[in-house]
Amino acid sequence: MINCKICKNKEYVGSFFCSECGSQLLADDDLDIDTLVIPSREKRDTKPSAPDQKELAQRDTDFALYNPERGKYLDIPPNHEFTIGRHVEGQVITPDVDLNPYDAFENGISRLHATIRFDPQSQQYFVLDLGSANGTSVNNYEIPANSEVPLKHGDEVKFGKLKFTVLIPENE
Amino acid sequence: MVNKDTNYYRKLNIHPSASKEEVKRAYRRAVKKAHPDVNKRDGATELFLEIQEAFSVLSIPEQRQAYDQGRDDVDPTSLPIEIASQFSREGIFQLDEPQIIYAIINIKVSEEIKNIEELPLNISVVLDTSTSMDGARLEILKAATRDIFRDLKDEDIISVISFNDRAKVVLPSQNVSNPQSLDSSISPLYAAGGTEIFQGLEIGLEEIMKNIRGQYVNHILLITDGHTYGDEKKCQELANHAARRGVVISALGIGNEWNDEFIDQITSQTGGQSLYIKELNQVKPFFRNNVQQLQKAYAKQLILELQTAPDVELLSAFRLLPDANPLPAEKTISLGVLNQDQPHRILFEFLVDPIPSKVERVLLADGIFTLKRKTGDLDIPFLLERKTIPSDEEISPPPEIIFNAISHLTLYRLQEKAQQDLAKNKPDAAYQRMINLASHLMSREERTLAKIAMKEADHIKSHHNFSPEGKKQIKYGTRRLMLPGEIRENQDHDQL
Repeated sequence: MINCKICKNKEYVGSFFCSECGSQLLADDDLDIDTLVIPSREKRDTKPSAPDQKELAQRDTDFALYNPERGKYLDIPPNHEFTIGRHVEGQVITPDVDLNPYDAFENGISRLHATIRFDPQSQQYFVLDLGSANGTSVNNYEIPANSEVPLKHGDEVKFGKLKFTVLIPENE
Repeated sequence: MVNKDTNYYRKLNIHPSASKEEVKRAYRRAVKKAHPDVNKRDGATELFLEIQEAFSVLSIPEQRQAYDQGRDDVDPTSLPIEIASQFSREGIFQLDEPQIIYAIINIKVSEEIKNIEELPLNISVVLDTSTSMDGARLEILKAATRDIFRDLKDEDIISVISFNDRAKVVLPSQNVSNPQSLDSSISPLYAAGGTEIFQGLEIGLEEIMKNIRGQYVNHILLITDGHTYGDEKKCQELANHAARRGVVISALGIGNEWNDEFIDQITSQTGGQSLYIKELNQVKPFFRNNVQQLQKAYAKQLILELQTAPDVELLSAFRLLPDANPLPAEKTISLGVLNQDQPHRILFEFLVDPIPSKVERVLLADGIFTLKRKTGDLDIPFLLERKTIPSDEEISPPPEIIFNAISHLTLYRLQEKAQQDLAKNKPDAAYQRMINLASHLMSREERTLAKIAMKEADHIKSHHNFSPEGKKQIKYGTRRLMLPGEIRENQDHDQL
């Protein structure tokens, strides 16, 4: 596969253009990137600031979401499955985790944005976008609504514009 | 001719009395067995070429007759048709992952073929007379229909249908020898009621069928400005039936309300074209162009049967000439009329399974073009195949014609994807897509279209949807980019 330098989308060998953003694809060793048409938005891999390992150990949890921008861990219930969203006065179904403390509205969080679920059988965590207006991405890949995507330790998951690093400490 | 083992019937393993269909089936069988891909024995390639030669003689009535009579004017290389193919790469990579290769196939009538007899036309004009057509629209349609009459020849046949919730035969299928009857029948038409396209198409096809005999070029011209509800499936079945009977449906959509996805499906199934017009002054040129093109028909219908190799998948097919239209991904595709002076050009996108390094050639697909002609059907086989090359081999850039086609197809797909984003309730993604589209259009100097794309991006941001007008302008605008420059200029000229 060839990676699109602009949006990181993968295309088959032999393609000339990225089907997602329309940019011309170049071979990996081709550094002549200046000739490209640069669309208005460029996605870049950003390395999140390293989360505090000590704090993580103290939290005694097997799943954590860390917000590198604020250097804070998200408070999540100890359930096997919980919803994330933006609580609004009078809302009938409220999210388990309310992102209002993270400027949910400005960050484009829907009322019911996503679900995170632990599957005991495969011992894996999954994220599922609940058809949110601004979408959910995992490692800059926007995931389709209503289909589960597995999460690994170190993944970056983004609800709307709000980024979290997935931390799954190993249990010995 | 060289007298080697030229028993063509034996080559294809058939009896000399075999029918056309049997010849075709035998050819397909033989090709599969003999293809160098499959048959590794010595002489496989020669055998393969001989089969091709046998078929190219036996499939053409004139050639076969000459061959049967033992005449020496049999020449398997002399065809009234020229087929040429081009690929995005000279070879297929020996690669342990799937890869894409694009092919363009071009089919045209040989320039040596002169003085082609004109085929008579059998046309049905199906006019939408729903309430929304009231006023200038209907009057212009009437005038354009009268114009068709003037352009037709005495032996041509025409019928006129009007439809809203119900269809009515305005002018029954008849010879063009009596223009007054047309005038008196279309003048009283008035606009009322809803739009049920099936009603109109069904009666239009019925009228066409009354005179489907002989060598007539059968064509339905549908003109609508509305959305049809609930009869989409019936329309598709009808289009399918029409294609099999050699009837082509072309459509003209006026304004912003009509359902372009649906109309596209109907017309592309039959090999016709669909066009969007914003301005009423484009109605007359559309009618006239259509009739003129039909009058230049060499074959009244061109049909393509394409069979991909087992390890190859056809991802998409798009016609680039004589008009830019997506083609249905089906095994048998009706392409409409083949003109004397205008080739058909199709872009194929193939996905090829991993290719081990020991494989030398890869067959992508084999196909047969069938031409329905006055002098009998003509079957012309072709193969799309490539040698393999190591995946690290330096390759030359793709032919310009292919690169440009794919480049423009990518833009067309971006607007399609923006529509899909909106259908999935992702206006932000659609917005981003339109911004990207606008910037790519800008870099290709397509300023007018880029501006429309920008405007639509803003519209999506504030309304979470395209504007009805912008949606069609972007779709048909990006589609038109795929036509070669000189054709686009001619069309611009016609429409002024």
